[in-house]
Amino acid sequence: MNHRSTLIAARSAAVALGGLMLAASCLAQTIKLGMVNSLTGPHASFDLPASEGVLMAVDEINKRGGVTVKGKKYTITVDSEDAQSKPEFAVSGAQRLLRDDDIKVIFGILTSGPGMAAATAFGKSDVLYIGGFTLLDTLLGKPGGELMIRTLNNDATVAKSFVPTSISELGVKKVGIMLPNEDVSRSIVAVYKPLLEANGVQVPIVEYFQPDTQDFAPVLRKFQNQGLDGMLTGTNDALVEAILRQATELGGLPRKFMYRGGSGAPAIKYSKAVDGFTWQILSRDLDNASDPKVKAWIERYKAFTKKDVSPNTYWALTFYDTVFMVAKAMEEVGSTTDVKAIDAAVKAMKYEGVRTMRFDKDGHAQSDIDIGILKNGKVSSVRAGA
Amino acid sequence: MDLIQTLLDGLMVGGLYATVAIGVTLVFGIMGILNFAHGQMVMLGAYTAFFVVSAGLGFWPALLIGMVAMGALGLLLERVVFRHTLGDHMQGLTASLGVIMVVENLAAAAFTPDPRTFEPPLPGSFQIFGLTLSSQRVLVLVLVVLLVVACHLFLQKTRIGKAIRAMGQNRTGAALVGIQTTQVTAIVFVLGSAMAGAAGVLYGSLFAITPYMAAAPLMKGFILTVLGGLGSVPGAVLAGFLLGVAESLGSRYLSASFRDGYGFILLIVALLYFPRGLFGQRGKVRV
Repeated sequence: MNHRSTLIAARSAAVALGGLMLAASCLAQTIKLGMVNSLTGPHASFDLPASEGVLMAVDEINKRGGVTVKGKKYTITVDSEDAQSKPEFAVSGAQRLLRDDDIKVIFGILTSGPGMAAATAFGKSDVLYIGGFTLLDTLLGKPGGELMIRTLNNDATVAKSFVPTSISELGVKKVGIMLPNEDVSRSIVAVYKPLLEANGVQVPIVEYFQPDTQDFAPVLRKFQNQGLDGMLTGTNDALVEAILRQATELGGLPRKFMYRGGSGAPAIKYSKAVDGFTWQILSRDLDNASDPKVKAWIERYKAFTKKDVSPNTYWALTFYDTVFMVAKAMEEVGSTTDVKAIDAAVKAMKYEGVRTMRFDKDGHAQSDIDIGILKNGKVSSVRAGA
Repeated sequence: MDLIQTLLDGLMVGGLYATVAIGVTLVFGIMGILNFAHGQMVMLGAYTAFFVVSAGLGFWPALLIGMVAMGALGLLLERVVFRHTLGDHMQGLTASLGVIMVVENLAAAAFTPDPRTFEPPLPGSFQIFGLTLSSQRVLVLVLVVLLVVACHLFLQKTRIGKAIRAMGQNRTGAALVGIQTTQVTAIVFVLGSAMAGAAGVLYGSLFAITPYMAAAPLMKGFILTVLGGLGSVPGAVLAGFLLGVAESLGSRYLSASFRDGYGFILLIVALLYFPRGLFGQRGKVRV
């Protein structure tokens, strides 16, 4: 090799190195979000739409130019793990995300089994974890849970809007409570019974039944001919549908129901046999959307996912607005890595997105919800603030 | 009035338990196999009814088709699986456990775990003598009584029924007097499975249908088989009604969160006084 060719080789190497450095600097201008969700298994019906919501928000942020932090443009990428509806896979997925030092914010999981397992791993690390499962509320604000946020309201917050709205919509004055014999039912009664009574409704009967009960006749007989005009029940669609079906068959029972759950499906089938039914839509009502923001979001969702909305699509709004909040918080604090500052900014923010999002200092959601109503065979919904 | 209503509720659901238990006790009495796959027949019977009713054919054809289809499936299982395990009860029991896993997972894959219901032929309730009763539950009770009576008459009055009873008493002796034991065994499987199919259709007319619904009726079917006396059809029927009434009274007047426990209390108390079950015969196996 002569001197000239050596020089050319050196110049080429320098150009290549420069290109690599430029590419590296371009790569560095991304914000990498982590996401762990049950994309397969029985919990996928919640978590899959929730993950679609995150991806959709990220896509929209990137399309409008990304996130501007201290004058520098960043695009967002998402590193996703499948919890497979199992705690052990949630933990291994969480650990894979935690091994990546570039990931500072992690979204995901709507069910408590995998959720608690993953949150335990996140609690030991310096990341901001934003989840949706019920038991996350028990960790917020406690040691290890300082950098955690739950984007769905807890029972106490939901009840504050659900109870008065249901009472006024259904016109009930004397209500019985019938729930499966589970820990969550005790906490539901502890929240709902005093609220009902504070709103002028008598609650003379509270009954717990065996969780796998199929024949509700004996327990429903306890509510018969007691002068009740309503019942509060839960906690899942299959159970509530069975209760409704058997209540309408047995006769002598109230025909107005308040459902501590997120779907009108159990009652719609029996719409002629019930006088009223209310339920909780923890994000937004997509089936009877009248809000232009919700209508527009539905169209964007269809375009992004190439899917039509289904009864579970509203879970896609679990994290959707919060992704925008995190991006806004990064812009406000001028950092993509200072998780404590980002966490504080999100918790201090009120965000008018598709949902109205706000959190308390510990990260409990205080957002507005929609309340589904079935009356006179017609389904509608109302917006209710906490 | 409330007590009578609750008793009737218990009889209605107890009749369903009895229908399941008849099949279990017949197969055990003749073949000595505790057929765990019997619960799957209940589940498949319920799904058959769901699809037949959804296709617009109505409840009565669904009942007939459910019984025939499960009878045919019972015959198939007897020919393919259980005939080959006759000499080894543990092998038969293990095979039936395998059948559970295969059928349950196939059902979950084909039908999805989502609960299904179909419109009963008699929705709503009616009032009589101050009682408010569910029309469909009363219909189910009537049908159960008819099925039990028909099964009893079949076993008591027909040649095949007599052959079944003879085999229940002594399989070798029955073979020695010319009874075709393999044919009778197949008939017992068909009869037991058809009863399970009927129970499934009636279950489906009252409760939600899922691929995993078989566990509760099967467990209760076994309790009743033991309580009634292994191999005793009248014992299984009486035990079914007793269990239904015990659950109903316990849930109504004590705690509904202990519902399944009442049956086991009944079982323990009954076995203290009747160690061979309510209708267990002297010389038969102590349960």
